[in-house]
Amino acid sequence: MRIVIAEDDPLLREGLALLLRAESLDVVATAADPDGFLAAVDAHRPDVAIVDVRMPPTHTDEGIVAAVEARRRRPDLAVLVLSAYVEQAFATELLAQGSSRLGYLLKERVGRVEEFLSALHRVAGGGTAIDPDVVAQLLTRSRPDTRLDRLSPRERDVLALMAEGLGNTAIAERLFVTDGAVHKHIRSIFAKLDLAPTDRADRRVTAVLHYLEDAHRRA
Amino acid sequence: MPAPDPAAVRKPARRWDVFARARATLDAFEHLVGGLGTTVLALVAFLLVAATALACLFGVGVLLVPAALRGLRAVADRERARLSRWGPEIIGPEPVPPGLRAALTDPAVHRELGWMVTHATLGLFLSLTGLTVSFSAVTNTTFPLWWRLLPPEEASTSAMGLWTVRDLPGALGVSLLGLGWIVLALLLVPGMARLQAWPGRRLLRADPGTDLALRVAQLTATRAAALDAHAAELRRIERSLHDGTQNRIVAVTILLGAARRALARDPSDAEAILERAQSAAEQALAELRAVARSILPPVLTDRSLADALTGLATTCPIPCRIDADIPVRCAASVEATAYFVAAEALTNITRHSHARHATVTVHRDADRLHLQITDDGHGGADEHSGSGLVGIRRRTEAHDGTFMVNSPPGGPTTLTVSLPCGS
Repeated sequence: MRIVIAEDDPLLREGLALLLRAESLDVVATAADPDGFLAAVDAHRPDVAIVDVRMPPTHTDEGIVAAVEARRRRPDLAVLVLSAYVEQAFATELLAQGSSRLGYLLKERVGRVEEFLSALHRVAGGGTAIDPDVVAQLLTRSRPDTRLDRLSPRERDVLALMAEGLGNTAIAERLFVTDGAVHKHIRSIFAKLDLAPTDRADRRVTAVLHYLEDAHRRA
Repeated sequence: MPAPDPAAVRKPARRWDVFARARATLDAFEHLVGGLGTTVLALVAFLLVAATALACLFGVGVLLVPAALRGLRAVADRERARLSRWGPEIIGPEPVPPGLRAALTDPAVHRELGWMVTHATLGLFLSLTGLTVSFSAVTNTTFPLWWRLLPPEEASTSAMGLWTVRDLPGALGVSLLGLGWIVLALLLVPGMARLQAWPGRRLLRADPGTDLALRVAQLTATRAAALDAHAAELRRIERSLHDGTQNRIVAVTILLGAARRALARDPSDAEAILERAQSAAEQALAELRAVARSILPPVLTDRSLADALTGLATTCPIPCRIDADIPVRCAASVEATAYFVAAEALTNITRHSHARHATVTVHRDADRLHLQITDDGHGGADEHSGSGLVGIRRRTEAHDGTFMVNSPPGGPTTLTVSLPCGS
């Protein structure tokens, strides 16, 4: 897996590269600003880009803009965006282009190396990784008068993990239940939300996020 | 409620208190001397306006009108400031409207023109008369002391032609005349000073309505600036927390994560990674301290403004002298403002001025804190070129203070800040 890192903070950039290289991943280039990042994407043809949201010159959303631009140039590029804090607008902006090969995580998730690596692999493999905090924010922001109310607490847990981009087996492990039980919950969720069931993780996430987005807009 | 005894009320007002009268006369004399300055300025403005009006008859003066009115406004502002020093504060009207027609129909401008004519004539006359009376009072009273120094023919005519002064009794007679002048001065000078100030007090104040409206507008503007400065400050703090401290701590978690993985794989790698994690944690602490100090320096709250400024000077790369005289502490917000103004100014000096020395002078008089920062750099500091000067002005005006920059090309640069102490 060829990786490019775009992060303006030198310590974080080197720490991230050190971590990934120690895991025998191929960090082909690192960049400190959006221009350097786009040049590295053009020059090294990476499989995955790890991008910080706040980068020079204004330290606002340069990373998101650069990530969107990189995806425009290379539609098959997987992008994992790292953010210092949860901002739903960033997630929405990214997901506007579809959720496959896309991740949006809080920076500190990187420290949980196994989970971070699994999110990285998931994104590189065509899937999605959305930070639990982003999902939680979306869930709380949707108003109580939505169809979400029909879900049982357990079903909400499952939905939240789905929204993070986890597969059935991973959800079963997190909730200490069987695969079959998760399957049942998901069927029930889709039925209650009037969504056609599907096995593809990214489409499930898309469905969930679109539904939440829609609920948020109507509220 | 019983009516007060009329005699008891009237008596103090009627009593001729010579000392109080003498004091009032001295004050009035001082005002007439000060008034002489503005009457001369008013006369100059009068001539300027008259010349402009004359030029207008030939069509060429129209272009000069705005300049003439601005000049008049400057003179009137001097008089406003002068009168505000010894009477109720006179708040000036809004700036002269930019358009010619608007400027000529502005009631404030009309009143200023009226004041100019009165002050340049009656005002000038009063000042000169007052000075002459006072001068005669002093010279005549002391005449016997120095009349022998005068050439005889000049001394002989010193009694205003009433008699010829040839000997000591004659000279003593002149000093009696001097007493007459003194009585005249005591009688007239206070009234003359009041009369001279009267047109200014009547004509130069803004309309009673606009007066308050203007003050409200000023306060609204400075309040908005205060909120702006506050928001900018919060943004700066947010940024240093997110992009500085938080990144350091994220780096710590990443390195700790990497170290745990390394422990499982090859413990000898872990030591080096943990070392980096520890130094990242130390950096986070250092940045956190810096952020906290930038919000409010502890030395300012624990010790004094002078100590805080001394601390500032020691960390300034350019040699910096602190000259502080603050016997009584000011309100915390005022001291913090003074501190940050000094900090910002020293940062500016370090970055832009190529100065070799800087001096920070701070002293308190009565209810104001005065701060002056001088450097011997190349000058030419411009408030509009995006330097920290705008921030300094905002911070200062947010506290109802004043800020001045004097920075001619070639230097030296002097920043002057004055803040109401609030205590």
